[in-house]
Amino acid sequence: MNRYFYIDKEGKQRGTFSPEELRREQINKETLVWTQGMEQWKRAAEVEELSLLFSGSAPAQQPQPAYGQAQPLTGQESAAPVQMPKSWLVESILVTILPFMFCSSFFSLLGIIAIVYAAQVESFFNRGDYAAAVEASRAAGKWTRIAMWIAIGWVLLIIIGIILFFVFVGSIAGLGELLDI
Amino acid sequence: MVITLLLLLPVMLFLFYSFDPATDPFFPFCPFHAVTGLECPGCGSQRAIHSLLHLRLGDALAYNALLVAALPYIFLGIWLEWLGGGKRFPRLKHFFFGRWSALAVLLLLLLFWVGRNIF
Repeated sequence: MNRYFYIDKEGKQRGTFSPEELRREQINKETLVWTQGMEQWKRAAEVEELSLLFSGSAPAQQPQPAYGQAQPLTGQESAAPVQMPKSWLVESILVTILPFMFCSSFFSLLGIIAIVYAAQVESFFNRGDYAAAVEASRAAGKWTRIAMWIAIGWVLLIIIGIILFFVFVGSIAGLGELLDI
Repeated sequence: MVITLLLLLPVMLFLFYSFDPATDPFFPFCPFHAVTGLECPGCGSQRAIHSLLHLRLGDALAYNALLVAALPYIFLGIWLEWLGGGKRFPRLKHFFFGRWSALAVLLLLLLFWVGRNIF
C-alpha cells in the first residue's frame, strides 16, 4: 500500500495518506497526487490504486483548479517530490566519528551540526513539508562538506608535518656529517 | 571529496603502519588531553590503528576499545552509502544510520568519554 501526497485546493502539498485515508480527504479525479516511484504528479484518476476511490459513487465535485496552481510547483522544482531529499545521515555520522581518530575531536562539533540538520530532513519530509526538508538537506550537506574538508586538511597537515620532520632530521644528520668532516 | 579521501587513505595506512604513535614524536596530540589531562573519546585511536595494522587486537582494544568497535560501523556506512548496500538493504541503512542511531552514536561517544575518565 503506497502513501500519497496530494495538492489541495490552495495549491499546498499535503501528505502522506494511504488510499483509504485519501477517501476521507477532499480529493477528486483531477487532484494531483504523487507517491514513491512516480516520475511526476498525476491526476488521481490515472493512478490505478486510487481509481477505486472514484469507481463507486464518485462525488460530483467541481474540478479543482489544482492543475493551474500546482503547475508552478512541478515546473519550478521539476520532479521535486520524487524522493526524499538526500538525508546526509551516513556522511554526517562518519564525519563526526572520523576526527576522533586523528586527535582533532573539536572538529566533531561540525559533524554534530550536520547530524542535527540531517535528522530534520526525514522529520520534515514525513510531515509533508517538502521545502523544509530540502532546506535541511542542503544545510546538512553544507556542514558535512565543511567538516569533511577540514578533516582532509587536518590529515594533510599531519602528512606534511611528518614529511617535514624527516626532512628536518635528515638535514640535521647531514649537517652532523658535514661537521664531522 | 571521496576521491581525495581515497588518495589519502593509503598514505595514512602506510604512515600508521610504519611508525608507532606511542613512541614516535611527530603524531598529533589531543588538544583536549593536553589542556585538561583527561582523555577524549578518540585518545589512543592512532596507537590502536597502529596495533590493528600489526594484528595486535588486544593492544588495540586496550588503547581505544571504541575505535575498534567503530571501524566495522564505519565500513558498514561506507558500504551502505557508496557501494550500493543501502539500495539493496534500505532497512539495514535505516536501522544503523537513521535518526535514532545518530543519537545513539553521540550518546555512546559521551558515555565512553565519561566512562574512560572515571574507571
